[in-house]
Amino acid sequence: MDSILEMYLYETESLLEQLDSIALAAEQVNTFSQSNVDEIFRIMHTIKGSSAMMEFTPLMSVAHRIEDLFFIIRENGMQIVSEDRRGDLFDLFFQATDYFRNEVEKLKSNEPLSADIDNFLSKINTLVSKIQGDLNKSSQNSEVAAPIPATSNESTLPTLHPDYPYSILVRFDQDSGMESLRAFLLISAIREICSENDFIFTPSDVENNADSSDLIVEQGFLIEFRNFDEREHAIHIIGSSGSVQSFQTHDASESPASIQEAPTLPLEPAVPAMEVIEPESPTFHPTLEKSAPPPASIQPSSNKESFISVSLSKLDQLMAVVGEIVITESMVTDSPDLNGLALDNFTKSARQLRKLTDELQDVSMSLRMVPVSSTFQKMNRIVRDMGKKLGKRVKLTLVGEETEVDKTIVDGISDSIMHIVRNSMDHGIETSEEERIANRKDPVGEIILSARHTGSEVIIEIKDDGQGINYERVLQKALAQGLASPDVEYSNREITNFLLMPGFSTSANVTEFSGRGVGMDVVKKSVDAVGGILTISSEPGLGTTTTLKIPLTMAIMDGMKVSVGSSIFTIPINNIRQSFKVSSSDIIHDATQSEMIKCMDSFYPIIRIKNLYNLDFGKDEIEDGILIWVESGENSYCLFVDELIGEQQVVVKPLPTYVNTFNIKNYGITGCTILGDGNISIILDIANIFLASQ
Amino acid sequence: MSSEPMLFAAQQDSRDVEEQTVDNENNAQFLIFNSDGLLFGVNVEYVVEIITNHAITHLPMMPSYIRGILNLRGQIIPVIDIRLRLGKPCLDECITIVLNVNGTQVGILVDSVAQMSSIPKEDIMPVPAHSTQKLISGLYTMQDGNTMMVFDCVLLMEH
Repeated sequence: MDSILEMYLYETESLLEQLDSIALAAEQVNTFSQSNVDEIFRIMHTIKGSSAMMEFTPLMSVAHRIEDLFFIIRENGMQIVSEDRRGDLFDLFFQATDYFRNEVEKLKSNEPLSADIDNFLSKINTLVSKIQGDLNKSSQNSEVAAPIPATSNESTLPTLHPDYPYSILVRFDQDSGMESLRAFLLISAIREICSENDFIFTPSDVENNADSSDLIVEQGFLIEFRNFDEREHAIHIIGSSGSVQSFQTHDASESPASIQEAPTLPLEPAVPAMEVIEPESPTFHPTLEKSAPPPASIQPSSNKESFISVSLSKLDQLMAVVGEIVITESMVTDSPDLNGLALDNFTKSARQLRKLTDELQDVSMSLRMVPVSSTFQKMNRIVRDMGKKLGKRVKLTLVGEETEVDKTIVDGISDSIMHIVRNSMDHGIETSEEERIANRKDPVGEIILSARHTGSEVIIEIKDDGQGINYERVLQKALAQGLASPDVEYSNREITNFLLMPGFSTSANVTEFSGRGVGMDVVKKSVDAVGGILTISSEPGLGTTTTLKIPLTMAIMDGMKVSVGSSIFTIPINNIRQSFKVSSSDIIHDATQSEMIKCMDSFYPIIRIKNLYNLDFGKDEIEDGILIWVESGENSYCLFVDELIGEQQVVVKPLPTYVNTFNIKNYGITGCTILGDGNISIILDIANIFLASQ
Repeated sequence: MSSEPMLFAAQQDSRDVEEQTVDNENNAQFLIFNSDGLLFGVNVEYVVEIITNHAITHLPMMPSYIRGILNLRGQIIPVIDIRLRLGKPCLDECITIVLNVNGTQVGILVDSVAQMSSIPKEDIMPVPAHSTQKLISGLYTMQDGNTMMVFDCVLLMEH
């Protein structure tokens, strides 16, 4: 794919995400605020422009029409769209983002764009002309003239202080939280450039009163200045600080002008509908210029400028080089040539080098970390759409969106999270609200999506307060499908595991969203693929919690090096519970001559690496070697190896693709790492070794 | 002034290269190696480098002709033993030729490397239809009378 197209796709995708989050937030309050409309207008304009540049004409046309639509809304305020039309507007808007997303997917997979957009365009046109119709009606009614530029947000603008004519109204990002603190930080920064007496702010108690957050969310944070220059400086500070969604400047002396401008507006929309659809036509241009937003209102894109986007392959490359450096460093410092030499200065420098390489490794790893928020935000959309289709009212609560995970891992699990959320919507939350009320639950269902760090892992939980897993039904289904055997008593935990088996589905009727039986097993596979663990727990009647435990990064991990004959294997430290020596009398043989050992009142099978891999060398006597008790998910067993060599942080390298075509992964070999002496150690996958030995 | 002869030399060089490329339209450069008494030629387009004495890490559960993987400056490369691939006993002393076949790097173990040779493409004869020989896509009689077998790298990657 050439780089321009890649840039286009990247940019369009992130813009679409922005659009979705704006629209979802706006739908909650059933209106687009003026800043929302401006933002949407700007985004559509960008998409239109870049699509035109790439010669994706259908995309351009659709973006163009949406732009037109929002142009009208921007010109006339949101009240131009009557309450009963707003549903249509939001639906249309979501259809549009879906359309773009589909097309972007097509571009990615090199499929041709769908040329048939007439249907969609006519939908937009219908809505435009409907709104236009309303507009014409209302313009005859002169009474609507007054509140034109005002939207629900702006109408609550606090009264201005006469001594401080230059003001800024700051709005923080939606759901950014702790608005009072953020406001206070802004004030502290402004204090550094202008004296205490030259500005005032409302609400004034942000420092001590945490409740002022609500007020800020509602009305914005107003800072008023004595002098124009000081405000200009403050704009810089505000523009460069994080979590500021938008800010608006307002001059007391100018305000009469802007008010004067307003009444002239409603007279203009007497332009026929056709011209609005084609704003490029010259007759329309004067309107556009005259009613362009007041220059004082600034959309801050400044906090974006401190970011650059880097292609993932470059970061992979960086990571590879850093991995090399880490290895080379230990090659140098542990060089056999140094044996027996007393090198004080060398040791000192080597220690310094180790410190720096550790730092370098941390930094390069942190570059690959992205917050899970973009994945989480997408779920809003799914909950909304499914809620509408299924007629369920469900609230999605996001917790710990800012948690950062390696980019490749986020990509690997975002589909899984989506699937689990769908399952919760479809099967978890009760079909009727009466049922919920009867069970003394809030009629509105809730799905909590949370992420948090625990040491080397990230835990993602998808929790619903629905009806929970019906163990009886799952078991019946498992029996019917031959997955379970009728003679065995299954624990609830084992029954839950049936859900993760390929081809399992409890849903009697297949819906659009789930129930096709390709589901949880795929989810489990993709979680496994990133080295994670999937668990489901459920309380009948109270809800289901699905937990994904995933490693922070796959690139570097702590491993235990063990030797078998001349081979050196690396076992992830996370999987190791204990290692111990045993004598042959401790070993128990079963009928098939498999070996077992009893530790902590349970019996565990013993797997000999040498026998499993048919190695030529390695110890056979159980006394000569050592047992390592390992655990991965459900499987717990002991590995027999010659000896432990030591613990080391290793850089995981994938095996060559050629080798992978031999299905070596199924034998528990996932990757390899380069040791300090340049040799290669094979990394073992504890879960797959167990399966391979069966 | 001193840069002038240098410039001239560089021009000379590029002309040499041009001549070679013109030459290459009909000819192909082959690296000729020996495996169990047989002469094979591999198109130099595939050849990355020749290395010796590299430690090869054995990979369990693989076909025997995959001797393992080696670490070439941080790159992990699988190594295929040509003798074992052709069903012959393997040798201890070997040379590894690193090939790049359509983006995939792979090493092949051979007995020895003989020479580079420029061969007219039209002189390469097809393999007899019923030949059971693996990995071969053509035959060529060299000036010294020996027969070189054209080693097919793409066939090598299939299994």
